[in-house]
This record gives sequence, structure tokens and C-alpha cells, in this order.
Amino acid sequence: MSDSPVKTPADRSHASSTYIVRAPKFMLSDHALPWLAPMLAILLVFALYPFFYNVWLSFHEFVPRKRTLEFVGTENWQKLFADSRMWGALGITLLYTGFCLIVQLILGLGIALLLDSDDPGFGFLRGVLTLTLVIPPAITGMMFLLLEDAQFGVFTYALQQLGVLGTSPILGNTSTALLGVMVADIWQWTPFMVLIFLAGLRAMPTEPFESAVIDGASSWQIFMRLTLPMLGKVIAIAVLIRGIDLFRTFDYVYVMTSGGPGTSTYTLSLYAWQQTFSFIKWGYGATISLFSLLVILVVANVFVAMTKLRW
Amino acid sequence: MLTLSPTQRVLRALAAWLVVAIFAFPIYYWFTIAFRVEREIFEIPPLIFDWTFSGKSFEEVFGISFGYDSSQTTLAGGGNFYMMPRLWDSIVVAVCSTALAISIATFASYALSRMRFAGQHHFVFWILSTRMMPPVAVAIPMFFIYKQFGLLDTYTGIILVHALMNLPLAVLLLKSFFDDIPMEIDEAALIDGASRWLIFRKIVAPMAIGGIAATAVLCFIFSWTEFLFVLTLTQTSLKTVPVVASTFVTSTGTAWGNMAALGVGAMVPAFIFILMVQKNLVRGLTLGSLKQ
Repeated sequence: MSDSPVKTPADRSHASSTYIVRAPKFMLSDHALPWLAPMLAILLVFALYPFFYNVWLSFHEFVPRKRTLEFVGTENWQKLFADSRMWGALGITLLYTGFCLIVQLILGLGIALLLDSDDPGFGFLRGVLTLTLVIPPAITGMMFLLLEDAQFGVFTYALQQLGVLGTSPILGNTSTALLGVMVADIWQWTPFMVLIFLAGLRAMPTEPFESAVIDGASSWQIFMRLTLPMLGKVIAIAVLIRGIDLFRTFDYVYVMTSGGPGTSTYTLSLYAWQQTFSFIKWGYGATISLFSLLVILVVANVFVAMTKLRW
Repeated sequence: MLTLSPTQRVLRALAAWLVVAIFAFPIYYWFTIAFRVEREIFEIPPLIFDWTFSGKSFEEVFGISFGYDSSQTTLAGGGNFYMMPRLWDSIVVAVCSTALAISIATFASYALSRMRFAGQHHFVFWILSTRMMPPVAVAIPMFFIYKQFGLLDTYTGIILVHALMNLPLAVLLLKSFFDDIPMEIDEAALIDGASRWLIFRKIVAPMAIGGIAATAVLCFIFSWTEFLFVLTLTQTSLKTVPVVASTFVTSTGTAWGNMAALGVGAMVPAFIFILMVQKNLVRGLTLGSLKQ
């Protein structure tokens, strides 16, 4: 088929992935580099330079007495692996990322299925849901700080009336503080997931669903066998983007708890921040940041390989 | 696709309204905080529907009159709640960084969409990976560089760092929009003797304008809501809304009413933008994964 002299539209779309290779030479003569150059320049200065600066910094430490940075070899890295607070922060970060991701994924999918309708009013509902995305996370943190306030918070009051919560404050108790912060994240970013899944659902062809109904498939079978597999790539992209941002989370914990009480809401980002700006341990702060980058890079790479995402 | 009985449709609508109401509740409550009499914020049990209107907080923050006797309240630190200049800072930073990020990303993503080179998949993943750096890891080196070059506490400094922050997502989004435009159009124009630049400027970019607008709005929102870079890289000469909101927490208590007023006011421009491009935005968020 591919060697037929006349290209039919079907032939073209079939060959689209390899089309470039077979295109006449003059089409390829344009170099990508000039088009990419401005972006590369910015990434070089603002992404690559900070990266290598961090690497350099991780082998140095600020000495307040002399007000200089001194070479300390691998001391920071040895300290990192022996630092139980760092491992604790990593654990909390992973717990935070995992829990929020699963809840946002399930809630997002459920709400997207619920809102995927052309009945009157549903467009309005989808619009309202996007409202949460335009609020700065720092302000969302404040919002939930008020809602979860120990004395006059609405959530506190409601939970106390329901008898779920005793007299202990939500954010002042080591066992509930992390959950209190996660609620803010879940509230703000579930609609983001809903929007992505809705886009996926709305773009699906209707024929397979119609024939499945004719064949007598149950709703559950249709969801498991048709909707989920067809939504696979969209779910993978959503999980990747959200997972990256969740792992770096900073605003909510900084505003709502500053890591406390104790170390119950200490995330890696916050730990690196405090080492750098509160304790003036620039070298160690950079080491924690790099370690955090390393973890997410490995996880993201495995994820992309597993889900076979291509760009 | 699945036909529902009338009862099922009503139940579904009820469930949908209920879910959205739950998500809208914190925003509604925040809104009432911005417009209620200050002492009612601390009422126990909390007042949800029967609050008393007061324009005081909003007036102090935005200088807009709601009939409340205008007397600029002063914070303990000697400042006041008048936030119009800070709103202006936010707008300048968000608009400029968006313009910069979008123009750079449009060029790059056109090349990534139309031209193929070895290791392209890895290159795109590398672009995405620059977003994986914890913001702290970028902020610290930037702090030292900016200090050296006098960019600390300047518009230029914040605009550049926000543009960088938005680049990876902007490139991926725009690439997916360009990928939607058939390659045949480019090829036809190339055969007719058009240059790549002409094709980009006259054909492809205008065709993708909806997608570019949606990406721009997303960049705008991310810059508008960004916290950590502004917190670290500015001191006094500029502050954006999220950072300045955190200064409402004072030693004598939190100015909840004013903070809520600022939050509500700051939501309006971003929400208008998002509604304008909602359709393209939603499609773009899937990063081109919807193609067969």
C-alpha cells in the first residue's frame, strides 16, 4: 500500500508517524535549533545553572563565623543519608503525594463521569468547578486555616457536632494535621483532574458504547472495559503532572502549619527551605533539594516507561 | 451515550449540584468573610447564611467605596491594608512573564511539532524535568545570582523566573495544539515557496490562536498564584497578592476580613480569563493525549 504512487488520505494518516522520513529533502532543511534557541537560553540560565549551582553547593557549607562558603567534600551527602528527620520528611512527602494523588484521581474520575452530560445546568456546574484553580495556593491555605480554626472554624464545628472530632484542634494535633493540610490540596486540585478527565470523556467516540449497550453490557462492565482503557493515556498524563507538583508541595504546609506540630507535616520542600533560610545551612539545603529532584526524576522516568508515554 | 430514565436523570442532576456545592462552599464562605461585619467572623457557632453585610474590609483593601466611612486602618507595623499597588505588581508580573513565556514557547513548540530530530522524546522529557526541581532548589541559586546582578527585588527578576517556571508546561501544551494542525498545510505552503517563518506567522500560529490563548491564561494563573519565588526574591519594592496576603497575619491577630477581600478581588480577573478560554483550556490540559 505504501508504494502506491497516489496517496489516499487513509494512506497518509497510516504513514503519518514515518512521513517525515519519506518527505522530500527540502522540507527537512530547516533546522530546529533557531526555533529552540530562545527557550534553550532561558533553560540554560534558569534551570541548568541552578542545577549545577546546587550540585556545587551540596559539596560546600556556609560558615557563619567566617561568613564564607567552605568546601566540605561529601559531608552533606553523608549527613543526608544519616538524617532521620530527612527520611521522616521524605516519608511525609510520599504519604502526602500518594494519598492526595489517589483521592484526587478517584474523586476526579467520579465527578468527571457525573458531570459528563449535556443536560441543562451542567455547563454552569463545570464553570463553577474551575473557580478553585484561580485561587493562589497560599490564599487557599489561609482559607482552610480559617475553616479548620480550633475555635471558630466551620469544619471544626461541624466535625465536633458530628462527634467525629474531640476537643483537639485539627491542625494542632499530630495525628490530624497532615490530613487537614491535604484537604486543602485535594479541594483545590480535584477540579483540575475533573477538567482533564472531562476533556478525555468528551473526546471519546460513541459507537463502542452504543454497541456495548446493545450487547447487554452492564454499566460497571462498560466502565471497566471501555471507559477506563480509553482514558488510559489521559489518566497517565494527569497523574504525572499532578504527581510532580504534589511532590514539590510547599505553599500549603508553609502557610497552614510550617511543618508542625512537631514534625508531622514536614515535607522535603519545607525542610530544604528551613535548612537554607532559617538555619543558614545553604549547602545542606541544596543537598536536600537535589535528593528530592533525584527521587522524583527516577519515579517519573519509571512511570513514563511503564505507561509508554511518548511526545 | 447511556440512556437514563427520567428518575435517574433527576438523581444525577441532584448529585452533580450537591458535589459542586460542596466544592463551592469554601469559596462562598470566604466571600462572606470578605463582606461581613468583623466580629461575626469569630462567632460560635459559625454564621453561614445569616451574616450582616459590611463593605469595610473590601474598602480598606481596594479603596472602593461601599458607603462605609473611609478611614485607612493602619496595621501594627505601620503599613495599611490598601492593596491596589500590590495588585498592580501582580498584574505587571503575570502579564509580562506570560508574554515572555508564550512567545518563547510558541517558537520552541512549533519546532518540536514540525521538525524531528534525534532524541526528541528525551529532549521533551528533559524540558518537563525542569519542572521537577523543587522551587526551593531554583530559588536559592537565583537568590545569589540576582544579588550579584542587582536583580533582587526587581520586576525583571520575578518576570524572568516566572517565565522559566511556566516554560515546560507551555511548551508541552502548545506542542499538542500545533500537533492538531495537519502537517499537509505546512507542506503545501513549503512547495509554494513559503519560508518556515512565513508559514509559522501567517498560517500555523493564527490557526492555533485558541490554544495559544488557553496556554497564556494557564501561565497567567500560575504566575498570579505563585508564592515561593516572590517570597524569596523580593524584599520591599514589589510584592504580589499571595505573598502580601500572608502579611495580614500579624502579631495582634489575623486580618481575616481584609485577607478574604484581597482573595476575592484577586480571583476575579483570573476567573474571567479562564471562562474566556475554557473550551481550549480543557482540551489542552490533556497535552495532546486525546489523538488516536
